[in-house]
Amino acid sequence: MTGEHGKGTAGRGVVWALVRPVWRTLPWRALGAAGTVGLLLAGTSRLVSGGPTPWLTLVLLRAAALVGALGLAFLLDDPARHLTAPVPTRRPLRQALRAVLVAPPVALWWAAVLLLAPAKVRPPVAGVTVEAAATCALAFAGAAAAVRLTREQRPGQAVAAALLTSAVLAPLLLPDGWELFVPAENPAWDAAHDRWALVSVAAVVAWGLCGPEPSARWARVRGPGGRRAGSSA
Amino acid sequence: MSAVMEAAPAVVRTDTRGSVRAVLALARFEARRLLLNVPVVVAFVAYTGWIVWRTQQSWDGYPALQDADRATQGGPLLVGTAVMLCADFAVLRSRRHGTEGHFAVLVVAPWRRTVAHVLSVVPAAALTAVCVAGQFTWEALKPGAIGHGSPAELAVGPLTVLLLGAAGVLLARLAPSPVAAPLLAVCFLFTFVLGAFPAGGEGTAWLAPVVTEAGTDTLPSDLLGRPAAWHALYLAGLALCAAFLAVLAAGGRNVAVKAGVAVTLVLALVGAVGQAGEVSPEVTAARERFSVSPEKEQTCVERGRSTYCAFPEWTARTGTWAGVVDRVQSLAGGSARTQPLVVRQRIDARHGLDGDAALPPSAAAHQVTVGTSWGGNRVPEFSTAVAAVLVAGDEKASGAICDGRMVTLMWLSLSWQDDPLDALRRVRLDDSLSGSAVVLSPTDPLTMTEGQTDVVRRLLERADDDTAGKVKAHWAELTSPDVTTARAAQLLGVAGPRGADSCGE
Repeated sequence: MTGEHGKGTAGRGVVWALVRPVWRTLPWRALGAAGTVGLLLAGTSRLVSGGPTPWLTLVLLRAAALVGALGLAFLLDDPARHLTAPVPTRRPLRQALRAVLVAPPVALWWAAVLLLAPAKVRPPVAGVTVEAAATCALAFAGAAAAVRLTREQRPGQAVAAALLTSAVLAPLLLPDGWELFVPAENPAWDAAHDRWALVSVAAVVAWGLCGPEPSARWARVRGPGGRRAGSSA
Repeated sequence: MSAVMEAAPAVVRTDTRGSVRAVLALARFEARRLLLNVPVVVAFVAYTGWIVWRTQQSWDGYPALQDADRATQGGPLLVGTAVMLCADFAVLRSRRHGTEGHFAVLVVAPWRRTVAHVLSVVPAAALTAVCVAGQFTWEALKPGAIGHGSPAELAVGPLTVLLLGAAGVLLARLAPSPVAAPLLAVCFLFTFVLGAFPAGGEGTAWLAPVVTEAGTDTLPSDLLGRPAAWHALYLAGLALCAAFLAVLAAGGRNVAVKAGVAVTLVLALVGAVGQAGEVSPEVTAARERFSVSPEKEQTCVERGRSTYCAFPEWTARTGTWAGVVDRVQSLAGGSARTQPLVVRQRIDARHGLDGDAALPPSAAAHQVTVGTSWGGNRVPEFSTAVAAVLVAGDEKASGAICDGRMVTLMWLSLSWQDDPLDALRRVRLDDSLSGSAVVLSPTDPLTMTEGQTDVVRRLLERADDDTAGKVKAHWAELTSPDVTTARAAQLLGVAGPRGADSCGE
């Protein structure tokens, strides 16, 4: 253990060594359940007799994106977080590794969801993808904030509840000129998706800010009694 | 040793009563936690905010209580979703905190704890019932309220919350994963609140917790044909069945629980079958009678010169109609000023609540049709119908008016109102103040040309009261079928039309 030189040892080798254990600890059951429900939701648009309307397709794609984000809200759940607080590999790196590992399956899943929507009534793919990315980024940011601000080991459930609550309230409470949930044929579609892009950037920034362990803890980790930080965290 | 032997039976004797007390204490604790949970608090705040915002302006202040009871059902869906989520999380709390093992040594078995969780949903449902009662009472206390509410329709909101809460507890017992409830909540919200999936046939549509059937027209209570009582029974049976199933899934395998599952399942099935039936023949016959021969179902009252015939639930509103008729008639001249009118309420209920059938104009002389709604745009529409009958003699003839008489007609209809120009805008289909437009009335709409619109607007904009005298002085010529819009403008002393004079042009 070279805890005093944590940053130096977090090289490429450590990341490669972390891939397997992090992959194993990802919340695959929650992600699998959310993915399945998302695919089912997107698939129902094919079952509607007489073909779905563009509005229905858009609503179902949004529902699928929300469901996917609810699954991702559990991504930073880590029952061992208090044990791993003093390890040399910093938390932002470990969290980023989780996100990187989960990104390819999520991208494949989103492509499948988009393909399940009938091509004739599919809303603009880029716009819907921006919405989905922003929703997922909000889930990440929420989970990172919960990890940063609380001592909860599994904040996923609370983050999912918060995400769901804001998803219900946002369409009701957003003021005029700040609409996010516009139909595809609406001229405000482009402006709304600029706002969605802003939301995702803000969420990623918030995630970045919430990533590091609190500085007080760092001070203790760096200090001579670094080993004690794990037990006091 | 003997002391232990003596103490043991005492514990056994008080076991049932003690565990009931423990379950109730746990239920109280969980109920308090549930009501203070952030999603539930947010849902209740949003729900009460929605009630206040909506009820202030609903039905333009003239609600029909047989519609108002149904309007209380949508909001509780939001509360119910939050309660489902939080009830599920409450059951999973001990598992998440790793205290499930500690509870195993307590005398309160897991199924008794589940009973407490199910009971903890009841106060949330009761609070919803208070909100529903408040919303409905507010509507009922409005001076313009008429009709009757149905207790079964009012029960749907609280029962939905109860059902969803019990479903949350059941879900936690069947799928003890924290991701299950949010996923179910999303599916539920998108299915029933946003209505993303179109309802199925007549029978399956009623399997949804809330079926609003928002039609455009208000119908008398007897013609609604909604299986409200069956639906309430179905919801109650389903809620209790979910509750008993949750207890069963938690290991409560005693006879009472099994019997409870069976009985409540039968209740839910009876409700589901009862509500799936077609509209009863009596209701269909009554709808036919009310639509084809309303005079046989109505009571008529004399007010001033005219007679007002309304369906029994609407008799309180005849005074309001009489106020409009008197004002319009006081502006007319000639014999129209003293002509007795018959104001008859008519509906087309044959297609039920979803029907959107237009009423044909009445051919009877001096008879004006009035609908079942009132307030807002219905007032200038009715006023226009009264003016049209005064000018043309009957509704059927007034539909063909498209000459200078239209100016007189619209002036009679609008000039007495508080804001005549605003009333003109509202009574026109496209909400415009220039150009040609369709003018709404309780039966067939009328048409205004561009020129007529200009003349009427100038008349209404003019401040002096001289127009009333001119209308009375030239009444015979202004209501003759030969008068042109230009001539009417000249008689009334405003600039003539620049656009089309009559519809033929």
